[in-house]
Amino acid sequence: MDSTHRVGRRLAATLCAVALVLPLAACDALTPGSATVVPGPTGVPSSTAVPNGDVTLRLQFADAPLMVDALIAAFEKGHPDIAVEPQYKTFSDYVQNLKLTMTSDTAPDIAQYAVGMTDLAADGHILDLAPYREAYGWDKAIPPVSLDQLTAGQTSAATGGRALFGVPAGLSMTGIYYNKELAEKAGIDAPPKTLAEFEKQLAAAKEADLTPLGVGALDSGGLHLWAALLNQLMPTDEYWDWVNGKKGATIENPAAVEATELVIDWGREGYYNESANGTAQVDSTAQFTKGDSVFLINGNWAAGQLATVMGDNVGFFPMPGEQPGSPTVASGFSVSYAVSAKTEHPEAAGAFLDFLTTPEAGQIISDNGFMPPNPDAVKKPTGVLADIAEGHERAVADDGITTFPDFAAPAMLDRLRSGVQKLIADRVKPADYLDSLQDEWEDHHGE
Amino acid sequence: MGSRPPVRSREARRRWRGYVYVLPAFAFYVAFAVLPALHTAYLSLFEWDGVTLGEWVGLGNYAEILQDPILRRSVFNALVLVVFFALVPIVLGLLSAGLLARYRRPGMGAYRFLFMLPQVVPLVAVGVTWRWLYGDDGVVNQALRAVGLDSVARAWLGDFDFALIAVGLVGTWVLSGLCMMLFLSGVQKVDPSLYEAARIDGAGPVREFVSVTLPHLRGELAVAMTVTTVAALASFDIVYVTTNGGPGEQTTVPGLLVYRLAFSEGKVGLAAALAVVLSVLILGIVYLINRLSRDRT
Repeated sequence: MDSTHRVGRRLAATLCAVALVLPLAACDALTPGSATVVPGPTGVPSSTAVPNGDVTLRLQFADAPLMVDALIAAFEKGHPDIAVEPQYKTFSDYVQNLKLTMTSDTAPDIAQYAVGMTDLAADGHILDLAPYREAYGWDKAIPPVSLDQLTAGQTSAATGGRALFGVPAGLSMTGIYYNKELAEKAGIDAPPKTLAEFEKQLAAAKEADLTPLGVGALDSGGLHLWAALLNQLMPTDEYWDWVNGKKGATIENPAAVEATELVIDWGREGYYNESANGTAQVDSTAQFTKGDSVFLINGNWAAGQLATVMGDNVGFFPMPGEQPGSPTVASGFSVSYAVSAKTEHPEAAGAFLDFLTTPEAGQIISDNGFMPPNPDAVKKPTGVLADIAEGHERAVADDGITTFPDFAAPAMLDRLRSGVQKLIADRVKPADYLDSLQDEWEDHHGE
Repeated sequence: MGSRPPVRSREARRRWRGYVYVLPAFAFYVAFAVLPALHTAYLSLFEWDGVTLGEWVGLGNYAEILQDPILRRSVFNALVLVVFFALVPIVLGLLSAGLLARYRRPGMGAYRFLFMLPQVVPLVAVGVTWRWLYGDDGVVNQALRAVGLDSVARAWLGDFDFALIAVGLVGTWVLSGLCMMLFLSGVQKVDPSLYEAARIDGAGPVREFVSVTLPHLRGELAVAMTVTTVAALASFDIVYVTTNGGPGEQTTVPGLLVYRLAFSEGKVGLAAALAVVLSVLILGIVYLINRLSRDRT
């Protein structure tokens, strides 16, 4: 009796010990990240030749599936030897699994560029396409400002110049939509030339008993408002340094405080829809189409929906600067595609990326509501789409397309989202808000 | 060895056989619950972004958790949710058990089915539905406006003062039915003669409930408290779907932060440490509940 008990106890103890010791004994293998093989310096050929033979490229992406399907069909027609297999994921799934996907042995050949790609590029999981940029002449086909967003702040080992970790297929930009009928009712007859004039228009709308500005701050809609004001007040170079994580950069400066104060002031004045913090961005857009507010902050991705529902009753302008002659600056990014360092077909991937810069691809991109990298190659859009194209052209000419502020660090989106909600509700001081952003920045970019 | 009496060895073998039966389940449990848990604890000692080589930081992540105001705030929020997920549903469950258990009425099955319904709907669907109900033009606000309470109506999930309460009430809605079912089944075990005896002694319905029903529900109460408290402390889906922690950090809970830290912020070690702390907290509270409910007997 006793002995069996003892045996049982000993067995249990042994099992426990094994369970405990196994992971510790295998320490080296279990050290997180040790199983990841960082690929060697895989290079991109500096010629545009595509070898013969059947090739299948796997393309993983999260935005605009219809556009991707159309682009693939058009590309395959011109390159019968190359098949492209699209793998669609929802945006949140895509972003959350991006690092695991791109470091796995089965990484797709081509993948949509997203936050987090910067780290992957730094670790060598994404091909530096700079040699292709020279070979294919992408600098001519694509505005440089759009390519600069895809350098991850790095220089290229292969060419000695700027690195390049993706090619855009369609560009985006944020700004202000306005309901023309309601604006007229409030005595507003033209888009504002300056930030001060815009504030007067907001006040006029309030005076006319209308909701001046629709904001969907439950998700990321609020950060577009803050970033739009920041873009006007903070020097663009300093903003770039901060987003790119340049040593010594800071968001705790007087210009950022001023922009942040404006968000609070507008809330105090009652310029926002009353439940901005409880409204998702898509819902604020839907409310705007119903005439719930005079203005709406959103991006060009909403233009298709707005044009369909509101027709000629909607217009668009980029957030104006301090002076009538101030450069046009707006947050924007691109639906871009990067190439995995593990791909076995860099030439075929290069051919696909180059196809994205052609007029044929441009027309497909434009038809799907995005701005093509080379706008001269497509038919002129009409209505609100024309307003956006014109605003984007001005911003590109002024080198004024800046990335979204959440690109500054992986955790920045959460800080921004909850921070702007507090600003709208007047629950935080500008200095404390900016301090929380800078803390996160320093946490990620180190000392 | 050969001198050992055969009886003893057969007995020993029989005792061993019990372990053999347990072994498959045990191996499964170790492989899919114990080892991953230990691995999580191990990961919590590293600073790791999920991709590159991790860096050993010892208990550094735990120190960071204690200092981070957002993490502390999330624990506070989870404790507030205990009121809505555990206390209120248990009181409501007791109330309906007291009202319904002793008297047979037609349509009782339908009534139970209705209250049990939230239990069989996936929490994500519950969250989406309530997001609509709480919306600007949702049913909640429509009802308030219909009775002239226009000034009270608001986007509840975006309001700094009410968001946490609004999320908590969703949990109340989900878990009240569970508590009611538990208590109703508990009451059915009570010997009817006890009620008869109580009535002969002149007890009214309230006295009957306090002196007969309640003492017999001690076991069910312990189960209900454990299940609902764990649901509150480990809450994730409802919060994620309705508010994603906002506005500000008003509804941020530890479960949400574990998910965010690991998957979107690339701080896997910190997420693991928070998960460990949360597990220890839950185990501690469950232990306490069980101790207290046993002591009272």
